[in-house]
Amino acid sequence: MNDSKSWSFLGRVAFWSVAAVLLFNVLFPFYWAINTSLKSENQLMMTPATFLPLDPVTKRLSVSWGNYAAVFSNKPFLRGALNSVVVAVSVTALSLLFGSFSAFALGKLRFRAKQPILYLILSMTMFPQISVLSGLYAVMRRFEIHAIMGMILTYMLFTLPFTIWVMTTYFKALPDSLLQAASVDGATPFQSFRIILLPLAAPAAATTGILAFIAAWNEYLFALTFTSVEPQARTIPVAIALFAGQVSKQEPFGEVMAASVLVTIPLLVIVVIFQRRIIEGLTSGSVKE
Amino acid sequence: MNRLERRDGRLAWTLLAPSLLIVFMIAIYPLATVFYTSLTDRTFASSASVSFVGLANYGRLLGVAVAPEGAPSGGAKASDALPPGFRSMGEFELLGSRYAVGGTDPKFLSAIGDTVAFSVVSVGLEAVLGMIVALVLVVNFRGRGFMRMSMLIPWAIPTAVSSKMWAWMFSSTRAGIVNVVGQALGLTDGQFPFLVNSSTQLWAMIAIDVWKTTPFMALLLMAGLQMIPRELYEASRVDGCGSLRQFFRITLPLVKPSLAVALIFRTLDALRVFDLFQIIFAQKRYSMASFAYYQLIDSRKMGYSSAASVVIFLVISVFIVLYGRLSGGKDER
Repeated sequence: MNDSKSWSFLGRVAFWSVAAVLLFNVLFPFYWAINTSLKSENQLMMTPATFLPLDPVTKRLSVSWGNYAAVFSNKPFLRGALNSVVVAVSVTALSLLFGSFSAFALGKLRFRAKQPILYLILSMTMFPQISVLSGLYAVMRRFEIHAIMGMILTYMLFTLPFTIWVMTTYFKALPDSLLQAASVDGATPFQSFRIILLPLAAPAAATTGILAFIAAWNEYLFALTFTSVEPQARTIPVAIALFAGQVSKQEPFGEVMAASVLVTIPLLVIVVIFQRRIIEGLTSGSVKE
Repeated sequence: MNRLERRDGRLAWTLLAPSLLIVFMIAIYPLATVFYTSLTDRTFASSASVSFVGLANYGRLLGVAVAPEGAPSGGAKASDALPPGFRSMGEFELLGSRYAVGGTDPKFLSAIGDTVAFSVVSVGLEAVLGMIVALVLVVNFRGRGFMRMSMLIPWAIPTAVSSKMWAWMFSSTRAGIVNVVGQALGLTDGQFPFLVNSSTQLWAMIAIDVWKTTPFMALLLMAGLQMIPRELYEASRVDGCGSLRQFFRITLPLVKPSLAVALIFRTLDALRVFDLFQIIFAQKRYSMASFAYYQLIDSRKMGYSSAASVVIFLVISVFIVLYGRLSGGKDER
């Protein structure tokens, strides 16, 4: 099956059709979103829906950029983009900082209670967020934590355990002799962590960092709850879910799709650049151990 | 214990301190308060006095009654047969007599049913389709890199965005592509309300979820497939094994550990589904999580919502234990 030369012609045809169908299925909704985003209000009402933005009368191609213009003048959406950047960047940075500390302790230092802590962290990766929602929100209201701060803090519920878990396995795999050599040279364990191990862990940090960023960027439940009384703190997923149009009273699908396309672009860039790392990170939790 | 080890220990606890503090603040403490609050009648953001109500919230969430209605087609309404406080959820016939089934909160009971059905069906489909995709992706062909990259896109975009995209595709007029295609194939009249009709609602949710997460499943399975040594295939080909037999004899058994992990990840994820249901149905139909959310934010019933959250926690725990049993605790990996 891995040797493409021995395939029969029929097998090859079957393979390529399956591959084509898969690719079509994966990409079609994006094509449809782009198509929709380039249609005017009237073109959206055309039935049956057209596969390209056509003029209702002449049936000629007629692209309208109005939806994008509307999105770019939509204050809540732009505000949401800024909030999302602030939240996702902060969550990623804090998770990496605290996560690498913990991972070094769990992966390279000898102390009691290591196993229970590892189990605690692992069990947290299976934790349903909804089960702490009311408790978290009550804490935030009582201490008057701003929604943005609240999101940064609580998103670590899912980014931190994953970061610790993956980086611990990574640190464990680094040879102990590195630390011993450093300690012979008079370095304290923390110094050798900072100067020797941390630079070596850069690939693992990049992988977990990207995944933490995407998870924080996409989070919806906490964001929706915590910003319910602070609309100015909404992030992009909430802004899109609650999208209010500039013109029409109905749900403005043209504008929603334009916003969706715009949100997808940065993720697309991340995926294109980091696809290897992302796949590595996604599978590192499942294959090892 | 020597001096070095003690120094290690002190450093370890210092390094772990921030993470452990965060874990305590955002997981352990709130979880404890949720468990406690679920036993009270606390109202959210109000100064009303709170009293301890024991398991009353759970009783109301999960209360089920079955009552005989007498002879079939007796003309009596199902709800009349049920004790007060129970609302009818359906009827069934057994051994010639009719029974009415009711619950004290039918919405939550059906949220449990819907969420479990949604999870089982979509994860099952994702496993089968994911395996097919993974088998395609491990083959060395031109364009494989592009294909892998495309697979990541549905996974990477926010569920809020994909829910909106699909809601638009599922529109109930021929402005929605699904209805256009459905009519062209003669399957619908071009006006089918997929997201409103109660018999297609769940299937639509499943379709969206399968679209979004099959690629993720495929990538996990692909990682497992790549670890199978090629010599095994070569040896079995020498022995005259066909592709199908190879799949069942070699691929499936060897990819099983990866499959088990992928199934667990995805099932736990599906059981806590929120975004999809909340965005598409709001309060028209609930998942367990969106029910708990609306009880908290809309009805401000904090005690009741917390009890629902605890039930979700327990349902998910049951699935974890089930998987643990099924994958056989003996092969400790």
